[in-house]
Amino acid sequence: MADLNVRSDSVDVEQIMRQIRARIREKRGVDYTEAELQQLANVKLEKFLDPRGVRSDLVEQFRKHRVVSPAPPHFTFEDTTLYETHRGYLRAIRKLLRPFLLLFFNPNRITDALHTQAEINALNHRLFRQREELDPLVYEVIHNLVVEATRLGIEVHNLKMRVESLSSRLDFDERRGRSLESVVQYRRAAPAGDARGAGESRGPDEPRESGETRSPGGEPRSSGEPRVAAETAPRPWSEGGGGRPEGREGGGRRRRRRRRRRPGQTMGDQRGPVGSGSAGESGSPGAMRGPVDTRRPDESGGSGEAAPRSSAEAGEMRGPDDSGADDQ
Amino acid sequence: MKLAVVVQRYGADISGGAELHARYIAERLARHADVDVLTTCARDYITWRNELAEGIETVNGLRVRRFPVAHPRDTGDFGRRSRVVFDEPHSLADELKWLDSEGPTSPKLIRFITGAREAFDFFVFFSYRYYHAWHGIRAVPHKSVLVPTAERDPAVGLALFAPIFRGARAVMFNSLEERALIDGVSRREGPGVVVGVGSAIPERTQPWRFRKKFNVKRPFAIYIGRIDRNKGCAELFEFFERYAVMYPHGIDLVLVGSKELEIPSHPRIRHVGFLSDEDKFDALAAADVLIMPSQFESLSMVALEAWALGKPVLANGKCDVLRGQAVRSNGGLYYESFEEFAEALYTLEGTGPIGAVLGRNGQEFFRRHYAWPVIERKYAEMFDRLKREPATAALEPLPGFFARRQRTIPPARQVVDAVPSGPVVK
Repeated sequence: MADLNVRSDSVDVEQIMRQIRARIREKRGVDYTEAELQQLANVKLEKFLDPRGVRSDLVEQFRKHRVVSPAPPHFTFEDTTLYETHRGYLRAIRKLLRPFLLLFFNPNRITDALHTQAEINALNHRLFRQREELDPLVYEVIHNLVVEATRLGIEVHNLKMRVESLSSRLDFDERRGRSLESVVQYRRAAPAGDARGAGESRGPDEPRESGETRSPGGEPRSSGEPRVAAETAPRPWSEGGGGRPEGREGGGRRRRRRRRRRPGQTMGDQRGPVGSGSAGESGSPGAMRGPVDTRRPDESGGSGEAAPRSSAEAGEMRGPDDSGADDQ
Repeated sequence: MKLAVVVQRYGADISGGAELHARYIAERLARHADVDVLTTCARDYITWRNELAEGIETVNGLRVRRFPVAHPRDTGDFGRRSRVVFDEPHSLADELKWLDSEGPTSPKLIRFITGAREAFDFFVFFSYRYYHAWHGIRAVPHKSVLVPTAERDPAVGLALFAPIFRGARAVMFNSLEERALIDGVSRREGPGVVVGVGSAIPERTQPWRFRKKFNVKRPFAIYIGRIDRNKGCAELFEFFERYAVMYPHGIDLVLVGSKELEIPSHPRIRHVGFLSDEDKFDALAAADVLIMPSQFESLSMVALEAWALGKPVLANGKCDVLRGQAVRSNGGLYYESFEEFAEALYTLEGTGPIGAVLGRNGQEFFRRHYAWPVIERKYAEMFDRLKREPATAALEPLPGFFARRQRTIPPARQVVDAVPSGPVVK
């Protein structure tokens, strides 16, 4: 974040606020007004509610089984309702006697109350009907949310897998890098003729540029391609991180070990914890291999150069099913 | 000189803004004049129930006369009447009923003022919007000095207050913005001065004592006051929670005051309750910045106290008064949206020197305008002036019976909205 430019004591609050606003604009890109934001939100919502965007049998099912509640019996109550009758003479008598009735009690209060109740009933029904009409929309929105959430869940899962895979690759690359650095460092111990003859790479006592080795033709080679050095510089077990003899015995073929996953196994599962290794991997000869291991497992312990080492020392790893058969 | 300070509530333990303001002023004026305090028996500003004994008592060496409230406030009735006068065309009679409903209705207090008009040189009325100020000023207009403590809320636009603003002998404003607002709604021309109020700032504060007592270790922003939705606390919580997400290593928020609103359970929000003055000032001294989220303030005493201690203030920019003070003093920043809140808070806590410089400016602003000698001098000069000059404007009489009932007065909110807003920068 850019710092505010304030000189000594002569601060100006308005100026600071202008800088703050400028910073906000920088972050936000465009300075939307509230109305514009509202408009954008509405557009998004419309898109979200677009039925073409959602394939939902459930919505159809819901619509199919939708039941509309019946209207309640029409019930009105006016001031004349109490005295109504289909018989004309009776109506006349009631009308005549109404003043006498009013002497005993006040029916207007009852009429008012019942009239109000009738209005409340009608209002309730109206609101209930509105609610019923709104329900499918709510259902649809919820359904779409579920679909979106599921989609996002899957995406998150995929991304997690990808991160895990990238992490494994990165780890592998790091280890490979470390072992190759060791190779370059201990190349001095290698027989000169052997090394020069095979790879023409320079020894550590010779001037060299960092991260560079020499290609067989004597051309500089970046550290990304140190295979030549690894192949041409045999070194003792006891030295270096990837310290295995890396000589190529009678073969011009480069062999590269490839890690394979077992069915149902992730990269993370396949990789043992650094420095410990699972039983049978780290301690067994040839369990941990450098990225440029030209020997078969049965060759590794037989040379008498060094005892089998832990995976931490080796800085390399290999799965339990790694074997010479994987060599290319 | 004999003065009467008239206020709706009074007491050493009553901490409302206007009430505290009145107490400070009364106690300071008592050094130069014989001061009586006239008030009600109410303690609660919502119900105005009579909780304190009627009669005379002494508070911090001042004689306080308490008068009973005739009826407590019916909040439902008051709410309904408020809607009518604020949002609908209405009559003056509606406004008078609203005033009576608002309270604290104390006819005994008004009768006392009328009867004792010759015993006092001046009556200093606090808070224009209450019953005691309106009826009191009508009872003794030529001796009345009004401290309106007006905020930009619809009440100030009610038609019944304009004659009071015009009719009071003098008005002691809290800020330039308040003056602009009152002049805008009433078109008054009488004597008036922007005074405000000082505060009892301790000589020394001990921030570490607060940190130790309340086990506060991280740097923090502080809010002091009633934790209430009307004070902008709901917005403050929302903004702070978002800020905490944005800046996981930013400062914490410490809340001081009584709780009227649910405080979110958040690891970086801490409520320490109501504090004594000593603890409050220690807390303020320990804080990095004071946050004032209220949108309606005529003068924030807490902001002045923060400035007095050299602390910057982060104020709600929608409050003209606070924004104006922040700009004029160069002692604080303000915000009007979450983005501004987060950036301003980050600026105050993240790039240290700015906070310190703003705090120093605020301290200078306080010393120049709100130190007690300045306040006392302004009051003394005003009383001298009023003694010298004869009262010119007479209080306008109330309209007749039928005129009072004509629904021709526009909604108060509309009146206030028509008055130009914004901070007074120059």
